[in-house]
Parts: sequence; C-alpha cells; structure tokens
Amino acid sequence: MTDPQIAIMMLGIFILIIFLGFPIAFTLMALGIGFGYYAYYDPDRMWRAYNRAVENDADTWTQWETWLDGFINNRIFDLFVNQTYSVMANEILTAVPLFLFMGYIVERANIVDRLFETLYIAARRVPGAMAVAALITCTMFATATGIVGAVVTLMGLLAFPAMLKARYGISFAAGVICAGGTLGILIPPSIMLIVYAAASGVSIVRLYAGALLPGLLLAGLYLVYVIGRAIAQPSIAPKPTDEEVGDIGTGRLIVMVITSFVPLAVLIFAVLGSILFGLATPTEAASAGALGGLGLAAAYGALTWQRLRESVYLTMKTTAMVCWLFVGSWVFSSVFSYLGGEHLISEFVTGLDISPITFLIMAQLIIFLLGWPLEWSEIIIIFVPIFLPLLPHFGVDPLFFGILVALNLQTSFLTPPMAMSAYYLKGIAPPHVQLTQIFSGCMPYLAMVLLSMATVYVFPQIVFYLPELIYGR
Amino acid sequence: MTKFVLFIDSVTGWFGKAFAWLILLMAFGMGYEVMMRYFFNAPTSWAFDMSYILYGTLFMMGGAYTLSRNAHVRGDFLYRLWRPRTQATVELVLYIFFFFPGVIALVVAGWKYAARSWRYLEVSVNSPAGIPVFQFKTMLVVAGMLLFIQGIAQICRCIICLRTGEWLQHEEDVEELEQVLIKQAAAGHLDDAERIARGRDDA
Repeated sequence: MTDPQIAIMMLGIFILIIFLGFPIAFTLMALGIGFGYYAYYDPDRMWRAYNRAVENDADTWTQWETWLDGFINNRIFDLFVNQTYSVMANEILTAVPLFLFMGYIVERANIVDRLFETLYIAARRVPGAMAVAALITCTMFATATGIVGAVVTLMGLLAFPAMLKARYGISFAAGVICAGGTLGILIPPSIMLIVYAAASGVSIVRLYAGALLPGLLLAGLYLVYVIGRAIAQPSIAPKPTDEEVGDIGTGRLIVMVITSFVPLAVLIFAVLGSILFGLATPTEAASAGALGGLGLAAAYGALTWQRLRESVYLTMKTTAMVCWLFVGSWVFSSVFSYLGGEHLISEFVTGLDISPITFLIMAQLIIFLLGWPLEWSEIIIIFVPIFLPLLPHFGVDPLFFGILVALNLQTSFLTPPMAMSAYYLKGIAPPHVQLTQIFSGCMPYLAMVLLSMATVYVFPQIVFYLPELIYGR
Repeated sequence: MTKFVLFIDSVTGWFGKAFAWLILLMAFGMGYEVMMRYFFNAPTSWAFDMSYILYGTLFMMGGAYTLSRNAHVRGDFLYRLWRPRTQATVELVLYIFFFFPGVIALVVAGWKYAARSWRYLEVSVNSPAGIPVFQFKTMLVVAGMLLFIQGIAQICRCIICLRTGEWLQHEEDVEELEQVLIKQAAAGHLDDAERIARGRDDA
C-alpha cells in the first residue's frame, strides 16, 4: 500500500470508530499517534543506540533501556506535543471558555421571562404578536448565550404554553421556538464562528463582521414569514381580545423595556461592537461580556452561589470537550496530510473537473448530511478542514465558505429525523404535542435557510460588505 | 471495584472543578487589562500570556473530569440503541486500542517536552515581562496522567457493566439546563420545570 492509501485507510477506520460511538477526541489522538508512528518511523533513530549497546555487550537492563529509548525516539511524539501545545496556547480559542461562561451565566439570569413578556406587550398590535415576541426573544437570547438547547427549552416552557393558551397553531408556535433558538450559533458573537476561525485560519473579526448581515437576513426572513403567515392565516395566530392583552400604559411599558430589553441589548452590542471596531480582542470582549453577564445576573437577583458553581463547571466541561477535539483533530490531520491523504483527496476532487458552483453545492450537501448524526463542533473541527485546502482551487473565499457552513448548520438542528431543537422542545412540551407537529413546524424554516444560502451565494456582498467596509480588503 | 471507580471519579472531578474556577480569574484579569488600557492608558505586559496560560490549563485539567462525566462528544446515534452490555463490550475494546496509546504518548512525550522547559526555567517570549511557561508545559503531563487513571476507571466501569448489565452512575454533577428541564418534564413535573425556567426555584 502506498502512503496516501494508508491515509485513506486511517480516515476509514476513524469513521468506523465514530459509528461505534467512542469519544471522538481520543480516537483521533490514538489514530494520529498510531499512523504517525508508522509515517515517521526511522529505523536509524529506533535501532542505533540499541545496536550499539548490543555490540558493546551491555547488560540486559541497559539493552532494554536503549530499546525503549529508541522506541519513543520517533518524530510523531514531538509533533504530538507541539500540536497539543499549539491548541493550549491558541490565542483565538482563549475566547471560547469566556463566551461559554457568559452564556451559562446569562441563561441563568432569569431574563427570558421578562424579555418575552415585555416584547409581547410592545408588539401586541402586530399580527401574530406572541410569535413575533417569541422569535425576537429567542434571537436575542440565543445571540447572548449561544446555547441552543437552553434557549429552546426555556422558551418552550415559558413562551410555548402561552402561545398554545392563546390558541396558536401547535406547529406554528413550535417552529418559531426551534428556529429562533438555533440562531444562536450563527449570529455573532457565536462560539461556532470562533471555532471555525481557529480551524480555518480566517480572521475571527472578519468572520464576525461577515456573519452579521447573513444572520440578520435569516432572522429577518423568519420575522417576515411569521408576520406574513399570521396575516394570511389568522386562525393559527388569533388576535388577542382586549381583555387578554390587558391595559398597560406607555409609561409602564417603557419601564419594562428599560429593565428587560435594554440591558441585554446593551450587553450584546457592547461585546460585538468592541470586537468589530477593534477596541478589544474577542478574548477581551468575551471577558467583558462575562463580567457584564455577572452584573446582569446580580441585578436580576439571580446570582446565587449554586448558579455560579453550575456555570463554572459547565464552562469547564464544554471547553474541555471542544478543545480536546482540537487536540485530536490537529494531530490526526497533520499525520493525514503528511501521509499524502490531503493531496490525494484534492487530486481526486480537482480531477473531477467540476465547476465551483457544483463543488460548493456538493460540499454543502455533505455538510448538511453530516449534520444529521453529528454535532456542529465535530463537523467544524474535523470535517470542514478536509474541504478547506480545496477552496483556492475553486476560487472560493474561506470566509464566504465559513458563512455558508454556519447557515447550513442551522439545518442540522431542524431537519428530521435527528433535529435536536425539535427533540429539546418535545422534551418539555405538554404531552399532547406530537413530535411530527414540531417537525412540520420546522419545515418552513428549513426552506428559509436554503433561501438565505442561495441569496448569499447570488449576492456575496451580503457577506463581504461589512468586513471590507471596516477592515478594507 | 465500584469504590475504586468512584474514588477516581472524585479525584479527577476535584481537579476539574478546582481548575474550572480559573475562568473567573480569566474574566477579571482580562477585564482589568481592558480597564487599564482605556482608562489609565497603562496596558499590562502580562495579560496576553495570562489569558492563554489560564485557558490552556483550564481545558487540559478538565479532560479527565469531562471523560468521567461522559461529556466528550461521541457519535452515539447507533451506540444509544444498544443494550448496556453490548455498549460495554465495544467500549472496553475501544478503550484499550483507541484511548491508551494517545494518552500514554501524551504522558511520555509531554514529560520530555516539559523536562526540557524546566531545565532552563523557560519564560514566554511574547513580552519582556518574562512570564514563566515551564509550569504550563507541565500541564501536558498532568493532564495525561489524569486521563490515564480515568481511563482505567472507565475500563472498570465497562467490566462492572458487563457483570451487572447496568452502567455505574457517576457522582452527582452539574447538568446542562436543558437536561435538567427535560428530566423534570419527563418525570411529570412540568410545573417544576416551568418554575426553574422562570428562575423561581431557589430565589
């Protein structure tokens, strides 16, 4: 077998082990070490000291020792520690635990309830007011926390029953919450984009600037759909009676907005703004966001010892999960490309003689399919890097590709049969709500994600406008 | 054997949880840097090194803790359909072939790497402040050792499961909010779940 074929075998074994459900980070590490040992094997390094010991008639113990020394005298070990260390000292990934911590604190800050109520009252004259309020709450809350499951379950417990009580269609109400909650991994400052930046080498600030308009475009599409559907089909989003709306004066409403909407909005804009305008690095902005989140939680009387502990430990677990995946992936991929696997793939794909648009569609289709069984972290850290070396050949900007991937991965939460968001909602919904009703509620949003991807492809300026405006070309 | 597993869990759990608090140090440290830079025009020389040292230490020390709580990502779409005994058999084999090689390599190679750094008490080259990094490189070895003992505990878990047909539950631990809520709902306590969601559970 030639080396590139062995590389493909390595990839094959890896995929097999994923299917068996073993923790992926360690599988990658072990395969990297094993195949790397073969790839970097150098008989001279291995046997020199041992042979000399044997020639000199050294005692058995010394012979063993020189053998062992020779055994671990392989460049894969240096490569391994160097790659691990480069994850440990990575200046982009430092923002990950801080953003996670901010998210965990904000999700425990008792904010959803207030925000939803305020937005509902503010939007009560709009068709489908409750769905609109739910969508905006989801979007804002998801942007600030970035944790899809938490947004969907919290909203599912607070806004969903309220919508059902107001005689909203079950599917309609479910779709809003599932799709709105998923926006958190797309709209900056999202952790997924940091991870993509670390995996691809694209500047994180450019990615944030590039993702902002597509993210807002998608949220805007959702909003138009919700209002449009409520007008076209009033039966699924009935107008509240005057009695249900209650009588709340403008003054009272302003107070509510100031105490619930404004602080969270300020927090998001401060974090994002300071990154985009170069006032702070993402890491610094994230720590400011974390401190702001602590302040917010304290102001809402939600900063208990118990919740702080939970946030701290959860931050640890999720950070370790993401970063160990990086350790494994970088070891694996450097061995894979040293063996020539990367070259083989790129020769194969360029040999197919396909147009850039076919390539893009195929790549996105593969990522879409991977989104069924896998989570976004695995897809971005392990599989997306396989496509990255192919991008220059097809003249695709990695920034542009990253935004398409980010949009695409929205679908992985919404596509049956593995739609995570739908399962989260089902998990906390009243028993009479069927999973199929939730699925059918998600369908229109899938169509909108595809529509937004097509729009971004046709008008790439949606992605490039802000980065070029702020940072130049 | 059960006691041994729980003991290892508590050891790695202690390390993971203790080092998790570094996140607060990170947030306040970086916050201090931003404040000094903008309000006092006196940026610190150590903040950058501090940020990655704290971050790197944090996640390296959490690897074993995360493993013990089964929180490392796995593609478990088939796995979760199997009976516990099947799961344990597969996992036992996979731990031996796909866990220990990497972890042992981490300890051995990390040792050489850290020893070199200790020999001249290496400091960071990023700033003139001379922030030491040899202790940071030692984390490779410590993390590897923690993972190693946790790996042994995981193997014992598999063996226990093979014997009893049930997975040994790990100690009480923090859970993602959505898991807490879904569990409450599954147990028929929708109103409790709602109370937690409104934040009225402990306030």
